[in-house]
Amino acid sequence: MKQSFARNVSSLEELFGFIERFAEAQTLGEGVRFVVRLAVEELFTNLVRHNTGGGAAIDVSLDRDGGELIIRLADFDVDPVSVDPDRPVDVDLPLAERTPGGLGIHLVKSMVDSLTYEYEHRTFRVTAIKHLEDTHV
Amino acid sequence: MFDVIRSESGPLRFVGRLDASQVDKTRAVLDTISESCVIDFAALEYISSAGLGALLATQKRLGDAGHSLTLAHLNKHIREIFRIAGFDIVFPIE
Repeated sequence: MKQSFARNVSSLEELFGFIERFAEAQTLGEGVRFVVRLAVEELFTNLVRHNTGGGAAIDVSLDRDGGELIIRLADFDVDPVSVDPDRPVDVDLPLAERTPGGLGIHLVKSMVDSLTYEYEHRTFRVTAIKHLEDTHV
Repeated sequence: MFDVIRSESGPLRFVGRLDASQVDKTRAVLDTISESCVIDFAALEYISSAGLGALLATQKRLGDAGHSLTLAHLNKHIREIFRIAGFDIVFPIE
Protein backbone atom coordinates (compact mmCIF):
# COMPACT_ATOMS: atom_id res chain seq x y z
CA MET A 1 0.00 0.00 0.00
CA LYS A 2 1.26 3.44 -0.84
CA GLN A 3 -0.13 6.90 -0.25
CA SER A 4 1.06 10.51 -0.25
CA PHE A 5 0.51 12.71 2.80
CA ALA A 6 0.72 16.48 3.16
CA ARG A 7 3.91 17.62 4.89
CA ASN A 8 2.27 18.51 8.20
CA VAL A 9 1.70 16.82 11.56
CA SER A 10 -2.02 17.36 10.99
CA SER A 11 -1.69 14.54 8.42
CA LEU A 12 -1.25 12.05 11.26
CA GLU A 13 -4.98 11.30 11.59
CA GLU A 14 -5.11 10.30 7.92
CA LEU A 15 -1.80 8.46 8.28
CA PHE A 16 -3.10 6.38 11.19
CA GLY A 17 -6.17 5.48 9.11
CA PHE A 18 -3.85 4.29 6.34
CA ILE A 19 -1.90 2.16 8.84
CA GLU A 20 -5.11 0.62 10.22
CA ARG A 21 -6.29 -0.35 6.74
CA PHE A 22 -2.96 -2.06 6.09
CA ALA A 23 -3.00 -3.76 9.52
CA GLU A 24 -6.53 -5.03 8.97
CA ALA A 25 -5.68 -6.37 5.50
CA GLN A 26 -2.64 -8.17 6.93
CA THR A 27 -4.44 -9.24 10.15
CA LEU A 28 -1.61 -7.84 12.26
CA GLY A 29 -1.72 -8.24 16.02
CA GLU A 30 -1.89 -5.26 18.37
CA GLY A 31 1.81 -5.47 19.27
CA VAL A 32 2.93 -5.18 15.65
CA ARG A 33 0.36 -2.46 14.96
CA PHE A 34 1.80 -0.43 17.82
CA VAL A 35 5.29 -0.76 16.35
CA VAL A 36 4.11 0.27 12.87
CA ARG A 37 2.18 3.28 14.24
CA LEU A 38 5.18 4.42 16.24
CA ALA A 39 7.72 3.89 13.46
CA VAL A 40 5.62 5.68 10.83
CA GLU A 41 4.74 8.61 13.11
CA GLU A 42 8.30 9.16 14.33
CA LEU A 43 9.83 8.90 10.86
CA PHE A 44 7.14 11.08 9.25
CA THR A 45 7.32 13.84 11.88
CA ASN A 46 11.12 13.82 11.67
CA LEU A 47 10.90 14.46 7.92
CA VAL A 48 8.34 17.23 8.48
CA ARG A 49 10.47 18.94 11.13
CA HIS A 50 14.01 18.49 9.86
CA ASN A 51 13.96 18.29 6.08
CA THR A 52 14.08 21.63 4.34
CA GLY A 53 13.24 22.62 0.80
CA GLY A 54 10.91 19.68 0.37
CA GLY A 55 7.78 19.34 -1.72
CA ALA A 56 4.22 19.40 -0.54
CA ALA A 57 3.87 15.69 0.16
CA ILE A 58 5.71 12.72 1.63
CA ASP A 59 5.17 9.21 0.26
CA VAL A 60 4.54 6.41 2.75
CA SER A 61 4.39 2.76 1.74
CA LEU A 62 3.68 -0.32 3.84
CA ASP A 63 4.37 -3.77 2.45
CA ARG A 64 4.61 -7.32 3.66
CA ASP A 65 7.18 -9.70 2.20
CA GLY A 66 6.76 -13.09 3.84
CA GLY A 67 7.75 -12.63 7.47
CA GLU A 68 8.83 -9.03 7.12
CA LEU A 69 6.96 -5.75 7.28
CA ILE A 70 8.62 -3.04 5.24
CA ILE A 71 7.96 0.62 6.01
CA ARG A 72 9.24 3.13 3.47
CA LEU A 73 9.04 6.91 3.46
CA ALA A 74 10.26 9.10 0.62
CA ASP A 75 10.73 12.87 0.83
CA PHE A 76 11.34 14.52 -2.55
CA ASP A 77 13.36 17.57 -3.57
CA VAL A 78 14.84 18.11 -0.10
CA ASP A 79 18.15 19.64 0.96
CA PRO A 80 20.81 17.35 2.45
CA VAL A 81 19.82 16.30 5.97
CA SER A 82 21.65 18.21 8.71
CA VAL A 83 20.41 16.12 11.66
CA ASP A 84 22.44 13.04 12.55
CA PRO A 85 19.86 10.24 12.73
CA ASP A 86 22.33 7.99 14.51
CA ARG A 87 23.27 10.26 17.38
CA PRO A 88 23.19 8.30 20.62
CA VAL A 89 20.57 8.91 23.31
CA ASP A 90 21.45 8.28 26.95
CA VAL A 91 18.29 6.87 28.52
CA ASP A 92 19.98 6.39 31.89
CA LEU A 93 20.38 10.08 32.70
CA PRO A 94 18.68 11.47 35.80
CA LEU A 95 15.61 13.66 35.31
CA ALA A 96 17.45 16.98 35.60
CA GLU A 97 19.75 16.11 32.69
CA ARG A 98 17.10 14.70 30.36
CA THR A 99 16.14 16.30 27.06
CA PRO A 100 13.59 14.78 24.67
CA GLY A 101 15.69 15.31 21.52
CA GLY A 102 16.47 12.19 19.49
CA LEU A 103 14.14 10.03 21.51
CA GLY A 104 11.81 9.21 18.61
CA ILE A 105 14.50 7.63 16.45
CA HIS A 106 15.88 5.82 19.50
CA LEU A 107 12.43 4.26 20.04
CA VAL A 108 12.14 3.26 16.39
CA LYS A 109 15.62 1.74 16.28
CA SER A 110 14.82 -0.25 19.43
CA MET A 111 11.57 -1.64 18.04
CA VAL A 112 12.38 -2.51 14.44
CA ASP A 113 15.01 -4.89 13.07
CA SER A 114 16.67 -2.53 10.63
CA LEU A 115 16.53 1.18 9.85
CA THR A 116 18.35 2.57 6.83
CA TYR A 117 18.61 5.99 5.20
CA GLU A 118 19.46 7.02 1.67
CA TYR A 119 19.90 10.47 0.14
CA GLU A 120 20.25 10.67 -3.62
CA HIS A 121 19.14 13.11 -6.32
CA ARG A 122 17.58 15.36 -3.65
CA THR A 123 15.36 12.53 -2.44
CA PHE A 124 15.61 11.30 1.16
CA ARG A 125 14.42 7.74 1.70
CA VAL A 126 14.11 5.92 4.99
CA THR A 127 13.28 2.22 5.27
CA ALA A 128 12.38 0.29 8.44
CA ILE A 129 11.97 -3.48 8.50
CA LYS A 130 10.18 -5.41 11.23
CA HIS A 131 10.37 -9.19 11.49
CA LEU A 132 6.90 -10.46 12.30
CA GLU A 133 8.06 -13.29 14.53
CA ASP A 134 9.86 -10.80 16.75
CA THR A 135 6.94 -8.93 18.28
CA HIS A 136 8.47 -7.98 21.62
CA VAL A 137 5.80 -5.37 22.36
CA MET B 1 -8.69 10.75 18.81
CA PHE B 2 -7.22 11.96 22.08
CA ASP B 3 -8.82 13.55 25.11
CA VAL B 4 -7.99 14.55 28.65
CA ILE B 5 -10.70 14.01 31.22
CA ARG B 6 -10.64 15.93 34.47
CA SER B 7 -12.78 15.04 37.46
CA GLU B 8 -13.26 16.83 40.76
CA SER B 9 -11.79 14.13 42.95
CA GLY B 10 -10.16 11.48 40.75
CA PRO B 11 -6.94 11.49 38.72
CA LEU B 12 -6.48 13.17 35.36
CA ARG B 13 -7.30 10.62 32.64
CA PHE B 14 -5.67 10.41 29.21
CA VAL B 15 -7.87 8.74 26.60
CA GLY B 16 -7.06 7.52 23.08
CA ARG B 17 -3.97 8.19 21.01
CA LEU B 18 -1.41 10.77 22.12
CA ASP B 19 0.53 11.54 18.94
CA ALA B 20 2.41 14.62 17.73
CA SER B 21 -0.76 16.28 16.45
CA GLN B 22 -2.20 16.24 19.98
CA VAL B 23 0.82 17.45 21.89
CA ASP B 24 -0.09 21.16 22.04
CA LYS B 25 -3.44 20.28 23.58
CA THR B 26 -1.66 17.99 26.05
CA ARG B 27 0.91 20.63 26.99
CA ALA B 28 -1.87 23.15 27.64
CA VAL B 29 -3.39 20.77 30.20
CA LEU B 30 -0.09 19.72 31.75
CA ASP B 31 0.94 23.37 32.16
CA THR B 32 -1.97 23.86 34.56
CA ILE B 33 -0.61 21.24 36.99
CA SER B 34 1.27 22.79 39.90
CA GLU B 35 1.30 20.01 42.50
CA SER B 36 1.94 16.28 42.62
CA CYS B 37 -0.78 14.32 40.88
CA VAL B 38 -1.64 11.02 39.22
CA ILE B 39 -2.44 10.61 35.52
CA ASP B 40 -4.49 7.52 34.70
CA PHE B 41 -3.35 5.88 31.44
CA ALA B 42 -5.91 3.04 31.55
CA ALA B 43 -7.70 4.36 28.45
CA LEU B 44 -4.55 5.60 26.68
CA GLU B 45 -3.90 3.34 23.70
CA TYR B 46 -0.77 4.88 22.25
CA ILE B 47 1.94 7.45 22.93
CA SER B 48 4.90 8.61 20.84
CA SER B 49 8.00 10.65 21.64
CA ALA B 50 6.01 13.88 21.31
CA GLY B 51 3.82 12.91 24.25
CA LEU B 52 6.83 11.64 26.19
CA GLY B 53 8.49 15.02 25.70
CA ALA B 54 5.48 16.87 27.11
CA LEU B 55 5.40 14.57 30.14
CA LEU B 56 9.16 14.95 30.66
CA ALA B 57 8.97 18.76 30.60
CA THR B 58 6.17 18.67 33.18
CA GLN B 59 8.06 16.24 35.41
CA LYS B 60 11.13 18.48 35.34
CA ARG B 61 9.07 21.60 36.16
CA LEU B 62 7.25 19.87 39.01
CA GLY B 63 10.46 18.30 40.27
CA ASP B 64 12.05 21.73 40.63
CA ALA B 65 9.20 22.60 43.04
CA GLY B 66 9.43 19.34 44.97
CA HIS B 67 6.44 17.72 43.25
CA SER B 68 6.00 14.77 40.90
CA LEU B 69 3.73 13.22 38.30
CA THR B 70 2.76 9.60 38.93
CA LEU B 71 1.47 7.53 36.02
CA ALA B 72 -1.01 4.71 36.52
CA HIS B 73 -2.37 1.75 34.56
CA LEU B 74 -0.06 1.82 31.53
CA ASN B 75 -0.86 -0.84 28.94
CA LYS B 76 1.95 -3.26 28.10
CA HIS B 77 2.92 -1.49 24.88
CA ILE B 78 3.19 1.93 26.55
CA ARG B 79 5.04 0.38 29.49
CA GLU B 80 7.56 -1.01 26.99
CA ILE B 81 7.96 2.43 25.39
CA PHE B 82 8.67 3.88 28.85
CA ARG B 83 11.26 1.17 29.48
CA ILE B 84 13.04 1.73 26.15
CA ALA B 85 13.05 5.50 26.72
CA GLY B 86 14.34 5.08 30.27
CA PHE B 87 11.27 6.93 31.52
CA ASP B 88 10.53 4.18 34.01
CA ILE B 89 13.32 5.62 36.16
CA VAL B 90 12.08 9.24 36.07
CA PHE B 91 8.35 8.61 36.59
CA PRO B 92 6.75 6.73 39.49
CA ILE B 93 4.52 4.13 37.78
CA GLU B 94 1.60 2.43 39.52
